[in-house]
Amino acid sequence: MCDVATVKKIANCLGVSPGQVKLNDEQVVTRISKNKSVNGFASILETLALESTSETALNSKSSREVEAQVYQWIEFAVLYVAPGSKDKYVAKQLLADFNRLFINKSYLVGHFITLADLAVYYAIYNLVKCLTPVEKESYLNLSRWFDHLQQRPEVNQGEPLLNFTTIYLHGWATGTHI
Amino acid sequence: MSTGTLYTYPENFRAYKALIAAQYSGAKVKVADNFKFGETNKSADFLKKFPSGKVPAFETDDGKFLSESNAIAYFVANEQLRGGKCPYVQAQVQQWISFADNEIVPASCAWVFPLLGIVPQQKNNTAKQDAEVVLQLLNQKLLNATYLAGERITLADIIVFSSLLHLYEHVLEPSVRKPFGNVNRWFLTILNQPQVQAVVKDYKLCEKSLVFDPKKYAEFQAKVGGGKPQQQKQEKKKEEKKPKEKKEQEPAEELDAADEALALEPKSKDPFDALPKGTFNFDDFKRVYSNEDEAKSIPYFFEKFDPENYSIWIGEYKYNDELAKVFMSCNLITGMFQRLDKMRKAAFASVCLFGEDNNSTISGIWVWRGQDLAFTLSPDWQIDYEVYDWKKLDAKSEETKKLVTQYFSWSGTDKDGRKFNQGKIFK
Repeated sequence: MCDVATVKKIANCLGVSPGQVKLNDEQVVTRISKNKSVNGFASILETLALESTSETALNSKSSREVEAQVYQWIEFAVLYVAPGSKDKYVAKQLLADFNRLFINKSYLVGHFITLADLAVYYAIYNLVKCLTPVEKESYLNLSRWFDHLQQRPEVNQGEPLLNFTTIYLHGWATGTHI
Repeated sequence: MSTGTLYTYPENFRAYKALIAAQYSGAKVKVADNFKFGETNKSADFLKKFPSGKVPAFETDDGKFLSESNAIAYFVANEQLRGGKCPYVQAQVQQWISFADNEIVPASCAWVFPLLGIVPQQKNNTAKQDAEVVLQLLNQKLLNATYLAGERITLADIIVFSSLLHLYEHVLEPSVRKPFGNVNRWFLTILNQPQVQAVVKDYKLCEKSLVFDPKKYAEFQAKVGGGKPQQQKQEKKKEEKKPKEKKEQEPAEELDAADEALALEPKSKDPFDALPKGTFNFDDFKRVYSNEDEAKSIPYFFEKFDPENYSIWIGEYKYNDELAKVFMSCNLITGMFQRLDKMRKAAFASVCLFGEDNNSTISGIWVWRGQDLAFTLSPDWQIDYEVYDWKKLDAKSEETKKLVTQYFSWSGTDKDGRKFNQGKIFK
């Protein structure tokens, strides 16, 4: 994650031309657009948000406080989520943490979709994709948030939808989830 | 884009639906600023436009008229709020709107309005349980869904949210709302949308549930009834048209009307009101009785007592041989007092238990307005009285004086010589 592909996806999602995105000599993701070069995932996302007029971008810069929190989550996605998702045990912990977070929140920052959601969404996408239905069962709140995002065409961008429907069936059938 | 004027009283949760929808769509909805509830909406001009006389009501700038809050909200909404292009999501929006009207609003009103003093407290009120069932349904839905219909905020969210406002403001204190975590999450999400914040200002989630306060109800009734005699008349007419059975079958509609008209109940339903008040003042006597010695309060009673309009009775329990434990017998007395709650205003009693466990009797001296047995005045009071033998006492006789003194001062013995054990005062 936090690689070239993700930057392009987020740019698409915000309705901004991604420009030229590649890894530079030091293997840092770089974006060149309108003869300006920006290094680093978080900085690139910031410039994308500035260029975009999409709902997500506008939300992300709606106040200083929101901006700071969004930045914090993007850093978290780069530094912990992406590397952590490669380790089975760390990944489990991450998912559990996010699930707990989403008990009381609909989105990561504030009460609306922001870049923070996108960054984390793409960071854990492969992780969630590999979960078995039974595993998803233990992350119902995370699943709700994830499913909500993937139903947005601009986020999903033509990928096949991950299946959460067994959860619904299970939830209705046993009626055990509160 | 629709532009127009919305007629409503302030902080009307039904009007919020349209106002929030307008925030999303950008429709220009102006709230009529000179609207006076009970006057504007009763005027001939208003009734010509909106025959029901109900608010919110909407008048477009090009002279079209709409009533019913959901319809107005639909009209001023945009495509996203109506459920987008997908007929299934549109249908879901309708589903939740009906859910709000049929399930949430009746339960919410039945629970909250008595506490606000808008309508009287109902007996065997199941509103709280009803509301909790509804919240549980919502909670289940919102475990797996961010919004109620589709993946965007729609009228479904706005209308269900508006219908829950009273509950979250007045009764769902943190411990009560804790089991509905998903609803809480969703509610806060909606509440904190900038479009919602622009309409629902200074809204605070309940920290401590309201409790029923009969005084509040009385004050509210006085306020509604006192100032506008003419309106009162109209309301009474309306009241007559609705027979009592209907009221019980359709609490929802009745309560809605209560909301709209700020309570249509007649000013007072106290059965004692039909009887002349006379010169005896129960409140004064009760104050003296509570604060002074019996040596003072009992003479005060006979001095002020008005035998023309009030009567003294002795009530003796019919089934004394069934009485076992003293505390159980006492509960029998206090239970009766509770069920007679509404009688307190124009009655006073001292009921005593004589004897000990397994050998005791209950009897009491009662005073109330009127010369006949008071319990027959109201169906609410007829639960207990038949297990007592009632005898009216001659207020002037010495015998009565002795009995009254004995019971009011909690002394002496019963007919068979059992000693006074405990007494309860109904005041």
